[in-house]
Amino acid sequence: MNPNRSFFVPVDSPLHRLNPLTKLTFVFAMILPAFLSVPELAPILAIPVFLAAFIGRVQKPYLNLLLKLILPTITFMFVMQSVFLPGGETILFMLGPFDVTQEAMRSAFFTVTRIFVMVSSFALLLLTTHPSELMSDLTQRGLPGQFAYVIISTLQILPQMQAKAQTIIAAQRSRGLDTESTFLKRAGSLVPLVSPLVFGSLAEVEERAIAIEARGFTSKKTKTSLHEISDTSFDKGLRWILVILILASVALRIWLS
Amino acid sequence: MEVISQNAVYFVVVAAIMILLFAWAYFTKRIQKDFITMTWVLIPVAIAINLTIGQIVLLLKLPVYLDSIGTVLVGVICGPWAGALTGTLSNIIAGIILDPGWFPWFPVAAAIGATAGVMANLGFFKNWWKVVVTGFIIAIVATIVGTPISIAIFGGISASGSSIITAFLLETGRSLVSSVLTTNFISEPLDKIATSLLAFAIIDGLSARYLARFPRGENAAVEKGQKQTQLIIALVVVVLLILFGIFVLPMLTGG
Repeated sequence: MNPNRSFFVPVDSPLHRLNPLTKLTFVFAMILPAFLSVPELAPILAIPVFLAAFIGRVQKPYLNLLLKLILPTITFMFVMQSVFLPGGETILFMLGPFDVTQEAMRSAFFTVTRIFVMVSSFALLLLTTHPSELMSDLTQRGLPGQFAYVIISTLQILPQMQAKAQTIIAAQRSRGLDTESTFLKRAGSLVPLVSPLVFGSLAEVEERAIAIEARGFTSKKTKTSLHEISDTSFDKGLRWILVILILASVALRIWLS
Repeated sequence: MEVISQNAVYFVVVAAIMILLFAWAYFTKRIQKDFITMTWVLIPVAIAINLTIGQIVLLLKLPVYLDSIGTVLVGVICGPWAGALTGTLSNIIAGIILDPGWFPWFPVAAAIGATAGVMANLGFFKNWWKVVVTGFIIAIVATIVGTPISIAIFGGISASGSSIITAFLLETGRSLVSSVLTTNFISEPLDKIATSLLAFAIIDGLSARYLARFPRGENAAVEKGQKQTQLIIALVVVVLLILFGIFVLPMLTGG
């Protein structure tokens, strides 16, 4: 369990300095065309994501993430889908009793590239933007503050709760709780592990509600932010270009059909 | 091309119904009534419970996920809209810290929370056998919502262990839709019934004074005089329904 609870890499780069909403628009400008436009576009879209990783100076963690997180998944999916997807006449080769057709392989390839574009562009956003920065920008643009509270406070609670879970697991094991033998024993040890964790965390809810209520959580007045996030005219222009690209790619699909 | 445009129509219709439902609940103040400060504070804790229990279950190597206990809990004691929001944000958080591949599954998580809330409003979260029924209904909803996402985004076979069943069913000559639907129908009920039972065990252990602080605390008022036979009958009926469903689903989806 990683103590640093997000993918964010704190370096200074043109991509880090961009407004978070612009980067979010970039992510959608990659994902929506990949899924909604002609399938041949998806492999091409991997290129701008890759280039952006270099501009953001996060190429090393980005490639690391690709190797660890995305590649095993999509390789497995590609093999499974090429072998098992039904339909298709042109049999390329036989794999044991299963036939691999050209059509199945083609559709597996496009599915896998789409997923690659989706996951890797989100990963890029998370590598270059801290979640709380994105949330405070969205809050300044009119998202109710409660949403930002939920996301940010979850990211804070989670490591604490995981540490607590580790403590409970260690404590119960030292008392002889069986977490490794037969299925029924392991299933039975779920309750002694889960209940102290859950009841302990739920007990804090009431106090926290009173604490944030006292700080004007439900107040309807506009709140000011300590941390202003810059939004340049370059950001605004870039966002419009990206939106036009999304629309153009969907139009291309309709036009070609 | 024909099939894709038809699916696009389905998608637009479903989205329109969702927006209308939301608008209706928003303007009749049903949503605002459920979102008090206690709800907003419970949601982060519930999401953390989802993810932490998910990790404990991985550690114990059990054949279930149990990653929506918190979602069901919020759905029951804070209403369906809060449950749906918890599910959605839970997947977003998992996408932020674990793997961005979680993002596309958020409608399933939202549906789980909403269904738990609706069933609890109908009084189906008050004793063990009713909770089994709720778990089964949640599993059916999760199957219905999850199958189109699985096919449209992940091509039907994703990297989870249950894909082996899908692959097997495809080899027996079933269509892709039928295979994915059947796979989900086999794998979901066990997970969702176990999730609901654990959520109920948690609610059962909370004091009435604590539950009363939440907007739908009365949904969780546990009925007295529970019988074990009722629970066993409910579980047997569910198992029979699953077996029945495995044979009926291919006919409904045309092979």
